Amino acid sequence: MLNLVQTEFLKLRRRKFVWLMLLAALLMSLVAIFYFGAANTVEITPMQFYKWTAFSYTPWIILPLVLGMLCTMLMYDENQNDMLKQLWIIPVSRMRYFFSKFMVVLFYSICFMLLTAVSSISAGVIPGMIAFTSDSVSFLFIKCLEIGILTPFAMIPVLTVAASQKSYILPVCVTIVYTFLGFILLMVNMYVHPLSSTTAIFMRNISGVVMKEPVHLGKSFLCIGIWAATSTIWAKVALNTGK
Amino acid sequence: MDNLMIETRQLTKVYGEQTAVNKVNLHVQKSRIYGLLGRNGAGKTTVMKMILGLTSVTSGEAYVFGQNIKGNEKRIYPRIGAIIETPGFYPNLTGTENLQIFAKLRGTSKPNAVKEALEVVGLPYKDKKVFSKYSLGMKQRLGIANAILHDPELLILDEPTNGLDPIGIAEVRNFIRDLCVERGKTVLISSHILSEIALLADDIGIIHEGVLLEESSLAELQKKNSKYILLQVSDTAKAALVLERQFHVKEYSVQDTHTLRIYDTTLDMAEINKTLMLENISVTSSQLCNDTLEDYFKKVTGGEGIA
Repeated sequence: MLNLVQTEFLKLRRRKFVWLMLLAALLMSLVAIFYFGAANTVEITPMQFYKWTAFSYTPWIILPLVLGMLCTMLMYDENQNDMLKQLWIIPVSRMRYFFSKFMVVLFYSICFMLLTAVSSISAGVIPGMIAFTSDSVSFLFIKCLEIGILTPFAMIPVLTVAASQKSYILPVCVTIVYTFLGFILLMVNMYVHPLSSTTAIFMRNISGVVMKEPVHLGKSFLCIGIWAATSTIWAKVALNTGK
Repeated sequence: MDNLMIETRQLTKVYGEQTAVNKVNLHVQKSRIYGLLGRNGAGKTTVMKMILGLTSVTSGEAYVFGQNIKGNEKRIYPRIGAIIETPGFYPNLTGTENLQIFAKLRGTSKPNAVKEALEVVGLPYKDKKVFSKYSLGMKQRLGIANAILHDPELLILDEPTNGLDPIGIAEVRNFIRDLCVERGKTVLISSHILSEIALLADDIGIIHEGVLLEESSLAELQKKNSKYILLQVSDTAKAALVLERQFHVKEYSVQDTHTLRIYDTTLDMAEINKTLMLENISVTSSQLCNDTLEDYFKKVTGGEGIA
């Protein structure tokens, strides 16, 4: 398994777009600088600032879109170039192959959120917008890790779609629909869509955030778990049938 | 037979209503090169995919090293090197990097395995050129290098010389031959190029429309190829009469108004010429001919020839 994960990272050599996508982690920090700068608010608490930079559109929209693209890219080359049969006769287990891709997505997601955390602190502290406090910084890092770990699990359905398709068009379309659906359903029912459930979990103890209903952790994890398990079974079937 | 590295029994593959492979019984013996010869779409790749367990078998069985591949993949696959259809690699990586990935996945212990495999196929080691910039011939060579990377006992090569130039084809042919002769490897190779199979294989299987029409050694096939005397004469009807009356020839065929084939090659050609001339039949040509493998292929498949 470790060999598989290592080779997954080797395969990313010279794939500039994968690294360029990490720049999206800086987007909300830049927006926050302009937003708070223009608002000319007298006193901004670190939590207010981080809510903008790390706890809102980044985990709702940006990170799922980036991870969806990554899932598609990870699967596309092998599907498109008809490489899978070469891997199966090594032999590489279909499920280990799928999980090695997931591990890359997980690692990338954590890096993305840690970069988001660093850029949030830099964008807030360096221009003097917020104070550097250990409590707020540690809370930010913990939350970013939470988001970075949970979101890849919520994105397993997209990874499955990418694994079952030779083309990139459907996985990209699914990524967009899936991400926005997760955002929309958050207001309707938090326990239907894995991305909504992920939001519910990390938002549960952020001060100043009022949820529609009290967050039920069990239901949230159950939602993510059911979608992830179903998708994994689907991926196994799809990879076995060679679609 | 204990000597069999691959054996298929009544191997059949049906796609919808189309039978791609029909009851194929294939026998590949140890340390021999088996050439699976057939036109495009004859079912060669499907047979190979079924042997490797890459596609499901509708009915019949495929045995590799005497074992059914289903359920024994972990034991059998490391002993096989294969190219099926066009070999695909990561386009953003160099040839060396691609092979390093496969070596890592295979757990190849030999430190210079990648370098040696690239040397065998004549590709540079640690070259900067990425796979997407490779020519078709280079891609094919890299596919072969990948197949031999882990020093397998059995090579299954589906049209490995596709896209290679004549010199490249000769090189690949020589090294496949060396692998078999010097290192005792067994090779199952498919091709639609008859001359290539005739130059390389020890045993030949002719597959046509999913049916294995013939399976025998090259030597046996060559024996089966008929010899005949080809006569070009002014009047075949008169010549046939003379041959029947004076030489008691019964096995002959009239090709057209001027061409005649006599299948009894023990006859004295000079005597035939002389007799025909005396009967006022002019002989423009007489020669001893041998059916080529292509003729035989035409005869067996009942149709067009092959390149």
